[in-house]
Amino acid sequence: MTALSGVEIRARNGPFARLGAWLSQERVFRWIPFVLVEGTFILVIIIPFLLTIYISFLRWRANRPFEQAYLSGFRNYEAVLSDTGFWAALGRTFYFAGFAVVFELVIGFLLAMLVHRVVRGRRIYITVFLIPMMVVPVVVGYNFSMIYIDHGPLNQLLLPLTSILGIDPRIRWLSDPLAAQWAIILADVWQWTSLTFLIFLSGFSALPPQLINAARVMGASRWQTFWWVELPLLKPVIVIAVVVRSMEALKLFDPVVLLTFGGPGTSTQTVAYYLWEQVWQFNKFAFGAAASMLLLILFSTLIFTGIWLMMRERTRLDRERAS
Amino acid sequence: MAGIVLKDLVKEFGSFAAVKGINLEIRDGEFLILVGPSGCGKTTTLNMISGLVEPTGGDVVIGDRVVTHTEAGERGLGMVFQDLALFPHMTVFDNIAFGLRVKHVDPGEIRRRVEEAAEAMHIAPLLDKRPGECSGGEAQRVALARTIVTNPSVYLMDEPLSSLDAKLRVDMRTELKHLHEQLGGTFVYVTHDQAEAMTMADRIAVMNDGRIEQVGEPLEIYRRPASHFVAGFFGIPTMNFLDGTVEAAAGAIEFRGTGLAVPLDASVDAGLAGRGAVLGVRSEHVLVVDADTEGATPATVSLIEPLGDTTLLFFDHGGARRMVAKVDPDLPVAAGDAIHVALDTANLHLFDAGDGARLN
Amino acid sequence: MTPAVAGRAAGRTRRRRTVLRHAVLIGWGAIIMFPIYWMIQTSFKDSGEWVTWPPNWLPQDPTLKNYEQVFTFDVQAAGVAREATEQPFNIWGSLLDSVLICSISSLIALFMGTFLAYAISRFNVGGSTFRHMVLLVRMIPPIVIAIPLLMYYAIMVPFATETLLDTRISLFDTRTGVSALYTTVTLPFVIWMMLSFIEEVPYTLEHAARLMGAGRIYTLRKIVLPLVASGMVVTFLFVFILSWGEFLLALTLTHPDVSTLPVLLNKYQSASEGRLYGPQAAIGTVITVPVVIMGILIQKHLVKGFSFGMMRR
Repeated sequence: MTALSGVEIRARNGPFARLGAWLSQERVFRWIPFVLVEGTFILVIIIPFLLTIYISFLRWRANRPFEQAYLSGFRNYEAVLSDTGFWAALGRTFYFAGFAVVFELVIGFLLAMLVHRVVRGRRIYITVFLIPMMVVPVVVGYNFSMIYIDHGPLNQLLLPLTSILGIDPRIRWLSDPLAAQWAIILADVWQWTSLTFLIFLSGFSALPPQLINAARVMGASRWQTFWWVELPLLKPVIVIAVVVRSMEALKLFDPVVLLTFGGPGTSTQTVAYYLWEQVWQFNKFAFGAAASMLLLILFSTLIFTGIWLMMRERTRLDRERAS
Repeated sequence: MAGIVLKDLVKEFGSFAAVKGINLEIRDGEFLILVGPSGCGKTTTLNMISGLVEPTGGDVVIGDRVVTHTEAGERGLGMVFQDLALFPHMTVFDNIAFGLRVKHVDPGEIRRRVEEAAEAMHIAPLLDKRPGECSGGEAQRVALARTIVTNPSVYLMDEPLSSLDAKLRVDMRTELKHLHEQLGGTFVYVTHDQAEAMTMADRIAVMNDGRIEQVGEPLEIYRRPASHFVAGFFGIPTMNFLDGTVEAAAGAIEFRGTGLAVPLDASVDAGLAGRGAVLGVRSEHVLVVDADTEGATPATVSLIEPLGDTTLLFFDHGGARRMVAKVDPDLPVAAGDAIHVALDTANLHLFDAGDGARLN
Repeated sequence: MTPAVAGRAAGRTRRRRTVLRHAVLIGWGAIIMFPIYWMIQTSFKDSGEWVTWPPNWLPQDPTLKNYEQVFTFDVQAAGVAREATEQPFNIWGSLLDSVLICSISSLIALFMGTFLAYAISRFNVGGSTFRHMVLLVRMIPPIVIAIPLLMYYAIMVPFATETLLDTRISLFDTRTGVSALYTTVTLPFVIWMMLSFIEEVPYTLEHAARLMGAGRIYTLRKIVLPLVASGMVVTFLFVFILSWGEFLLALTLTHPDVSTLPVLLNKYQSASEGRLYGPQAAIGTVITVPVVIMGILIQKHLVKGFSFGMMRR
């Protein structure tokens, strides 16, 4: 074998090569992507935020020139907090999110459990059940608006039921306050059960089969195995599903716009829709800014709790694995 | 050709000290094996030589260059990794050629040298395959070929045989030793397997808890372990250890443990009398004797493990720990039999009960 | 009971259970497919059939008129406009906007996110909790950033560019503005997903390359990127789907020049002249089909990746 010393190592110089060499030093290189991403966050998220904080203290409506705005202390915050519409919308958001998430979790879990046990046709079920996730939310809103119309297919399908009960078969899904609320919850459940299904399914497929086999060999029944072995192992995935879906459900906006515009009356106004209307219909920018800040504080608290829950679950797992 | 010197090498990860100041001189052309239990700092030490880990303190000298803070790629080393680290998306040829391409060696030269290395490792037919299509042994050879193709003066190996099955591992040991003779480079090899260390090394450095416990030739380490730890680490079955004290008795000194007393020779300082100590004796130095032999201790056989060429005899002698003797497979004993044993006093190891240092 | 009888009984129970399981699953499948089926069949119905009682389950007289109307540049000139329900919109502008915005923003997010994921994975940049904090950005409700962004794009950026550069540049109602925003909001997903792909590449591969003298960037290009390429495709498609369906921010930050497909569909929905169910169904189908195909392509990875590594051992 010949020695490498005989081979000339081609020297490379010039400004680009030198820049490249400087950038590929570890202490520099490791921070390049960090600086890029943080820079983007600062430019697109942080600066607008600071701006909002400023505006939330102004007395200003967008239909007047910005120069006429003046600082007004906490008046916008007082206005938001004493606004019944805001509180009602917030309450409604939690009401929608609560029902929707519970349905999504229960149905998603059952479906994942059933699909996990299916041998033939598994792939087809998974493919079909995941479709709603990929459908654009606005299209979902549109689809349901079509299905919900008084002369629509849903009422046609419900005809046997409504004729037995003796009620008018033309249920006014979108113009009756209560029906409209459930119309939105149903559309949300239709779309997002696919996500909880996905999370639970990945949980089920990650279950270690030898543990379940061990339990079965030791004489545990199906139900006992599920309750004492599978469910505790799935707990972290359940936490994820609850956290992720709850966070998303509180943002509910698209189907409201597409289905009801918050109506009839204000019966389907979620907090996102309410704010949007305040700002874009009534030009109450400063009011909207203050409400945004309050919402941010509220949601951040919830998000931090959620992340804390997830991280606690993770550290618990790591500890268990280590021991 | 280059030797390696480690001077007061320290590596701390946060508040955890992985390597606590080691000094080691690796001779040019030597096959040195760093051995120790997992977490003892041997891999960290190897990585400080390779440049993948930057030391917190101390120096690394390769040849006549201080390379403590030199980039890994500029140290002129070859390394084989525990998981072999073959690039899965490249063919065997590209894997072997990688190091040469990085150095802008001209393509004709690359082809010639890759083929030469593949020839040397008997993997010439594999050049167009991908690592995923190679068997464990073949992948091992590819990793070695990739290392020798740049012809480094120092070869670093981080448990390279751990991914192989038991039979192949033993064959590969012989081959590595042969390769070392052929190449004549300095080999620094890390393993937790004491058998690997014993069979291949010119010299062994035993590490424990971030420190080097002993450096020496394999037989020297086996015969005169410098500490309780080294004694326990080498040899299968593990050396017998007896807790007790060193006592002065009738002009001589002896070791007294539960159920037995063993006279010690002159190599033990008489001033140690009264000291708590651990007596170590290898299984082949525990003898089954007649009841009237001097120093015979009664014992009960509890378990017999025939290994073919020899038989392991586990017995209780009244002490806290069960002991083991290596005996002739034809010895007529069965579990439950009462026997007498004696220790070969010429081959005893005495360690301090506190710091584990050798006392005789 | 003899063992044979007991075995047959157990077999029957098992079979009954299997049948029941499939019945439930097929039932849910029907619920999933129904709205999509309804949209697709409506897109082939002419105006007389859109709303009838009882509804037609399949178009009596299938037509491509809806698609013609949606895909025609000048509806009036081409004569495909309907008398009573004339609409000025065609899909081309929105299609171009959506495709450009989504692909450019996803590409930029993919590259920035991949490099940051690499830095997080290999150098622990930002500390151990950084990867969780990254998700925070995603969890902020879009409505909360919509108001600040509107003022930022419409007032602050023009003001800043006017004073600094002497030209008035507004990001409001521009593709650049929406793309920049989408890049930012999808970055957390890219970082999170790419982290899981990058962490599957053993460190020792890079160590080996470094020892052989390869520089950082060379190692990244020749070793790491080829190994995570398929992961990058999956991640790209995933964030593309996210951006493709985003509505609130697009609605807020564009009008009238730029409009993404969801915004276009909404324009039809809120049109005052009466609902154009057919063309809407056509647009809905056009929006849905490509992303559903993309989704099916990456679905295997989604099933694997959505336990967030919590179950991996």
